[in-house]
Amino acid sequence: MIQPQTYLNVADNSGARKLMCIRIIGASNRRYAHIGDVIVAVIKEAIPNTTLERSEVVRAVIVRTCKELKRKNGTIIRYDDNAAVVIDQEGNPKGTRVFGAIPRELRQLNFTKIVSLAPEVL
Amino acid sequence: MLAALRSRCSSLPSLLLKSPPSPSLLDQSWKLLGLSAPSFSSSAGGARDISEVLTVAEVEKILSDVKADNVIVIPTENQSCWADVTIIATGRSDWHLKNIAQALVYRAKQKQRGEKHVMLPCVQGYDTKWIVIDYGKFVVHALDDKARVYFNLESLWTGEPSSANDNSDKDLQNAFVKVRLINNSKKKKPVQVSS
Repeated sequence: MIQPQTYLNVADNSGARKLMCIRIIGASNRRYAHIGDVIVAVIKEAIPNTTLERSEVVRAVIVRTCKELKRKNGTIIRYDDNAAVVIDQEGNPKGTRVFGAIPRELRQLNFTKIVSLAPEVL
Repeated sequence: MLAALRSRCSSLPSLLLKSPPSPSLLDQSWKLLGLSAPSFSSSAGGARDISEVLTVAEVEKILSDVKADNVIVIPTENQSCWADVTIIATGRSDWHLKNIAQALVYRAKQKQRGEKHVMLPCVQGYDTKWIVIDYGKFVVHALDDKARVYFNLESLWTGEPSSANDNSDKDLQNAFVKVRLINNSKKKKPVQVSS
């Protein structure tokens, strides 16, 4: 359940470390974003000497949420943190590696690139 | 769909009985439960699958026909539970990348000519430097020259500790360690005497 003003961790090596959601993309009046949704976010904290800087506006895909993710077969997946991967307008990830576990729903949502960079797929 | 579900349910216990309890069993049953892409679930039910339409060898031949450079086939069965084989190829230009993707889709279409349901692979990232053609059980990555060097998928999947891999480790460490500010002061540092 990500809404504007929510802070997210960054799950890749793009150089950003904290994001703040400012808009959910996909619908005009949507309240919450879930795993696999694209958001517009502001970089609140960044590693120095990288391409991304503080207070830059980027797009990101949510890959982990504290809110449970339910599957058709009854499995429930819940992560410890809210995390996102920074992407560009074309959907390519900005970083080259993704950290942590990634749910396989992202593959069905056409984010196979992120899934293929991840070390672990749940 | 219902029939597929039923057959999957019936096939699951038999599989559990047949194979001894092992760590791989978990992955198998996860696959069978239909957690993955729809193409996976259809294969479990005995139905046809998009990855059965084309084999890896055929895809390699198509890639050589369209003159994709530097084709690498990496078996990733034990590394990932979402794809058995990863194929990486390089294209010379945006047009070439697009042609690679179109050739793979066209071949799949051609093979299923006259059938009721034509299944096509999922293509992601048309008009970009990195096109992914997803056949369910195997995935073809067509990348630009620069993108290939940048993402370095080979080192990720072959698991070799190359220089790029070390860099990613460094990045990971940096991500968790608090970064100390750079010392910008003009003050001269005390010269160390080395004798």
